Amino acid sequence: MNLDKLMQFIPYLIPVLIIELVLIVIALIDLVKREHTRGPKWLWAIIIILVNFIGPIVYFVVGRKDE
Amino acid sequence: MNFITVFRKEMLEQGRTYRFLIVAAVFVAFGLSSPALAKFTPELLKAIPGVPGGIQAFFPTPTVADAMGQYIKNMSQFGVLLALLMTMGVVVQEKERGTAAFFLTRPVSRTTFLLAKFASMTVAFVVSLAVAALGCWYYTYILFEPIAWGPFLALNGLMLVVFLVYMALSLLGSTIARSNGIAVGLAFLSLIVIGGIGALPTIGDYFPGRLFSWGASLVLKGTDTAWPALWISLGIILAALLAACLVFRRQEV
Repeated sequence: MNLDKLMQFIPYLIPVLIIELVLIVIALIDLVKREHTRGPKWLWAIIIILVNFIGPIVYFVVGRKDE
Repeated sequence: MNFITVFRKEMLEQGRTYRFLIVAAVFVAFGLSSPALAKFTPELLKAIPGVPGGIQAFFPTPTVADAMGQYIKNMSQFGVLLALLMTMGVVVQEKERGTAAFFLTRPVSRTTFLLAKFASMTVAFVVSLAVAALGCWYYTYILFEPIAWGPFLALNGLMLVVFLVYMALSLLGSTIARSNGIAVGLAFLSLIVIGGIGALPTIGDYFPGRLFSWGASLVLKGTDTAWPALWISLGIILAALLAACLVFRRQEV
């Protein structure tokens, strides 16, 4: 197993992980502030946190409901 | 109210609805991860325990062509999807909520209303794509070899044209539609028609999707061109915007 090569890979992914983290934080802040969402809030929280990258985007596109 | 005022309002709206954030996040993430994945996927596969040693020979050493291939594949799929998703609601939702009617009581022409929306979406895509391209160029440079700026810029320009085609068609759908559901349907109809017919041989040479392979050829020092597809794409953008303005002018809002 080529662990050294794998470890080389990690630093290149850090910016992508930061982007993902920013998306998750902004989506969660919006979720907490928003009064109404399509579907239960707790479900959206799970989707935002657990579904890699797509979760927060799906929330922004379909989860929010205008007051 | 002039165009600049309405455009500013639309840019604020891009931020408030997180449209700008979504487009930027997706583009930049794929811009960076495409060359990285092209470089490291063979290594990752080799690292899977239990894979027999001999199989390593089947993973050729990745080249700059793989990096560009990944970048174009990811950007074409997600860029087109975002162009449709981010644009399809912009007019119809304002009609449904009644904010369009309210806004149009002010001295602002309907053409300005539509074009400001399109312009603000375009700015969001241009800025996001520029950052993504810069990231992709840099990662390709450190992981593979530097690629020439001119052709790479041309590739991104061609991709932008395709995104604008779908954005203009989606805006037209959003203008025609009375309800959000219909706007969604029209947006994906445009994807099926333009993307579907564009995938056919021969006739596909005249469709926007052809610009992706032209861009790939440019970066990889090929000699392939597709000028008709470019003119037709620009024609579709102008025709869709014109049609949207004409429809909206006569529409009861």
